[in-house]
Amino acid sequence: MKIFYQIGIIFGLCWVSEVVASLLPFSFPASVIAMLLLLLLLLTGLLKLEHIREKADFLLANMAIFFLPSLVGIMEYTDILQQYLLPLLLICAVSTVLTFAATALSVRATLHLLERRKHHG
Amino acid sequence: MADLFASPFFGVALSILAFWIGVKIQKKTRLAVCNPLLIASILVICILLVFRIPYADYNRGGELITLFLSPATAALAVSIYNKIRLLRKNWLPVLVGCTIGSLVSMGSVLLMCRIFGLDEAATASLLPKSVTTSIAVSVAEAHGGIPSFTVVAVCITGILGSIISPFLIRLLRVKNPVAAGLAIGASSHAVGTSKALEIGETEGAMSGLAIGVCGLITVLFSMFLSY
Repeated sequence: MKIFYQIGIIFGLCWVSEVVASLLPFSFPASVIAMLLLLLLLLTGLLKLEHIREKADFLLANMAIFFLPSLVGIMEYTDILQQYLLPLLLICAVSTVLTFAATALSVRATLHLLERRKHHG
Repeated sequence: MADLFASPFFGVALSILAFWIGVKIQKKTRLAVCNPLLIASILVICILLVFRIPYADYNRGGELITLFLSPATAALAVSIYNKIRLLRKNWLPVLVGCTIGSLVSMGSVLLMCRIFGLDEAATASLLPKSVTTSIAVSVAEAHGGIPSFTVVAVCITGILGSIISPFLIRLLRVKNPVAAGLAIGASSHAVGTSKALEIGETEGAMSGLAIGVCGLITVLFSMFLSY
């Protein structure tokens, strides 16, 4: 029964987030609102980790399979995919390398600056 | 017989079976290219094509699995909460790294889409490709993108990232585990994070943290972006 309550809590939270998203004057993903709400509930202690632990672990550990039906949906778009396959692969490859490099280098620079300030201060 | 494939049980069972086979193959080969999601999607597509089952029939069960995407995104809060100490200690590098990473990701995609002359729908589908799928799909849909296209781009990015990140770590001499973890998470979300966990505990934790933070930053950026 425990896992059932946990599903109830998380699904309920997702529904509340959809309500909040529909009330906002700009478009903001409901799933991200749910993430922020859940973090807020945990940080304020209104919700304890043990209230949702098993369900959250299940969701996080099996994340990949939830994308499967949408990925299979590409079979409906084979014409667009054929047309864009090469640019798609190139864009993914180049931007992944650039994003990795930019993040790694900026974090390294930040850590370096923090370290230097600590020594001087 | 044809009606039987339209039962939701068919789609759910086929998805889980295909994914289970994918996980088995990944465990046997230990190759990043043998990504369970990639194998499972190819298997399902082949079965649907061979038996001439329409995607709509399969998706009656598929929808039930997709339903869990939002709750799974919400559950990212738990992984951030579990690393709250690490976040408090490294809040500045996390914020700087994820902001710059998300900006470079969206900026480079936008630029290349213009160069290749992709239309607005394709551009909107690709733009959020470095963040985790559920967030990427919401961002793409809000700007008129095609969700399936976004999922493909997100998966290619994740698989590519998990293959090349160990190589990039050596190439760029990223010795700090915080920098390496954030870079993996920012560039290749959850698929990359499973690779980061193999490299080390701090790398995995930082990578997991970057998924949530980059997702949030990408949503915020995309709100101010008109393309």
